[in-house]
Amino acid sequence: MRLIPKSLFWRLLAISTIATLAALIFAAFSIGHVLERFVMRGLDERLDAQIAIVARAVRPDGTVDPALAADLPPFDRPGSGWAWEIRAPRGTARSRSLAGGDLPLPPAIPRGHRRPRENAGEPRPFEADDGQGRRLHYRALTVSVAAGDALIIAAGPREIVERPLREAMLPLLLSLGLLGLGLAAATLVQLRFGLRPLHALRRGLSDVRAGRLRHVDPDQPAELQPLVRELNALIDENAAGLAGARAHLANLAHGIKTPLAALVVELAEPGRDPDGRLRALVARIEDSARHHLGRARAATQSGPRRVATPLAARISDLVAVLARIHAERPIAAEVAIDPAITVACDPQDVDEIAGNLLDNGWRWARGRIAISAARRGAMVDLVIEDDGPGIPEAELDAALQPGRRLDERPGGHGFGLSIARELAELYGGGIVLEKGDLGGLRVRVTLPAPVG
Amino acid sequence: MRVLLVEDDAALADGIARALRAENFAVDIASNGEDGGHLGATEHYDAAILDLGLPRRDGVSVLRDWREADVRLPVLILTARESWSDKVTGFKAGADDYLVKPFRIEELVMRLRALVRRAAGHAANRIICGPLAFDAQLGQFELDGLPLRLTAFEWRVLSCLMLRKGAVVERLELLERVYEGDADVDSNSMEVIIGRLRRKIGRELIETVRGRGYRLTAAPA
Repeated sequence: MRLIPKSLFWRLLAISTIATLAALIFAAFSIGHVLERFVMRGLDERLDAQIAIVARAVRPDGTVDPALAADLPPFDRPGSGWAWEIRAPRGTARSRSLAGGDLPLPPAIPRGHRRPRENAGEPRPFEADDGQGRRLHYRALTVSVAAGDALIIAAGPREIVERPLREAMLPLLLSLGLLGLGLAAATLVQLRFGLRPLHALRRGLSDVRAGRLRHVDPDQPAELQPLVRELNALIDENAAGLAGARAHLANLAHGIKTPLAALVVELAEPGRDPDGRLRALVARIEDSARHHLGRARAATQSGPRRVATPLAARISDLVAVLARIHAERPIAAEVAIDPAITVACDPQDVDEIAGNLLDNGWRWARGRIAISAARRGAMVDLVIEDDGPGIPEAELDAALQPGRRLDERPGGHGFGLSIARELAELYGGGIVLEKGDLGGLRVRVTLPAPVG
Repeated sequence: MRVLLVEDDAALADGIARALRAENFAVDIASNGEDGGHLGATEHYDAAILDLGLPRRDGVSVLRDWREADVRLPVLILTARESWSDKVTGFKAGADDYLVKPFRIEELVMRLRALVRRAAGHAANRIICGPLAFDAQLGQFELDGLPLRLTAFEWRVLSCLMLRKGAVVERLELLERVYEGDADVDSNSMEVIIGRLRRKIGRELIETVRGRGYRLTAAPA
């Protein structure tokens, strides 16, 4: 079990709850104690006054003068709990309330602390049960006379203190409880209000991630400003890193492909590579360079963005391009896409996905390619279908594997499908290959539709 | 047929030029965008091979300028930029074909020939003029169904006349399409080539249009 909660909210709430509870309990105890002492002093004074009155009845010879042992009310009422008793060396006296019985006393009267000399005349308090379930409060005073020590004890019902104490404590505890509730409410409000910038920051960051904002709003509370500065710097570094990676990749592609092209051209000259072995090697380099560069380019895309790229315009551009690239193979492309359909993908990625798939279609089609698109919930389905030979059912899955060469024709490369799939999956979409109605391959690309 | 090759990588440019010359093309090489742009706008070429990442001026802007100046030269972009967006940009700028490096030289030659043929308005690969047939895909001539052996110069002249059969080709333009930019051209050389061609394919097929140029025709006027 972890003692420190993971949530800042609960952490702060726990600290403030514990602190508030501790403060309230301390307040209740200390106020209670003060009150008790205050009320108890009244009882003590009454008992001490009685002790002072009857103390005069102890004669120096150790006997008790009954005339002086005056019994003031309420000490004369039996059963009231009020009582006193003198235990002198040669005589005793007790209040009428005791009706001749002994004052119920605990087995040992506490001697109390050894008090300083000036306090010697002060009675010491103790408490005990009277044997009938009633708590009594006692004051005991030891008076020294010539014949020895006389003990004078007075008792009063503790209840007399407790009733006013209860009456005072009840509203006190109630108001302390209310105070606690008020503090708790204040804490909650404070936490909600105090943590609000954190929620705003999270929303800002998710806006940045979704491409709605370039940076997190720097207008933040002082404590968050350094964090936001760091975050924005990180976002910039990330973007710069991505742009740098893309530039490096473009340079790398150019740097590899141009000499490779020169090599291919040289090797094609008569007599240079009679058995075609070197050309085969170069073709392998070519394939893997094309494959890995393509994958790397897909990986440096900035990922999902809140863009709305009109599909129909991209497709019609690509169809125009393909019609010219494959000018020697006249293919009728039927594009049926509602111009209102948009996808939440970077236009370049749409070009890359659709371009590779359309190119594939053009390579295989006998004469027709049908392209359509439809919104399906949060996604858009782009369907490209050709009337070519198609792919046997058993090989449909393998066709999407990277490096799989389905097309051995010159200039063709089999990586288009897998690159398109990787890109589509980067956007949370995918590619499904199936048998089409035109007799050839039907490629169904799923891409996210813009939100809202 | 004369081709403008705009490519900054010397090794690749030399390789391509050698391969194209072996296929009877005349090749002019420009190693930067400025020179290439200027040559394409001022000289007569049958086609241009244009790299995109060029020093001084980018290939796309060279191409745009050509098209704005109404230069109809068929252009094949030959580049390492293989993204489909780059291809769209290239075609929108006015390219006629697009080939990604590395490439097979046979494919470049094939695409170049197809480009020149289509630019001359021929939909089919085989162009026929009387007993003479030209396979524009393979770049081979046949006379009465038999292969015709030609020198590079003869091939250049005859293919040019063949692609525009029935029309008069100006003598000066014909010279430009046959000789590379830095060649020493003897003013009589065209007559010499035409004479040799006539001996090979028969006098009546190539008609001299006095003061203007030559015309290839199956039915002499």
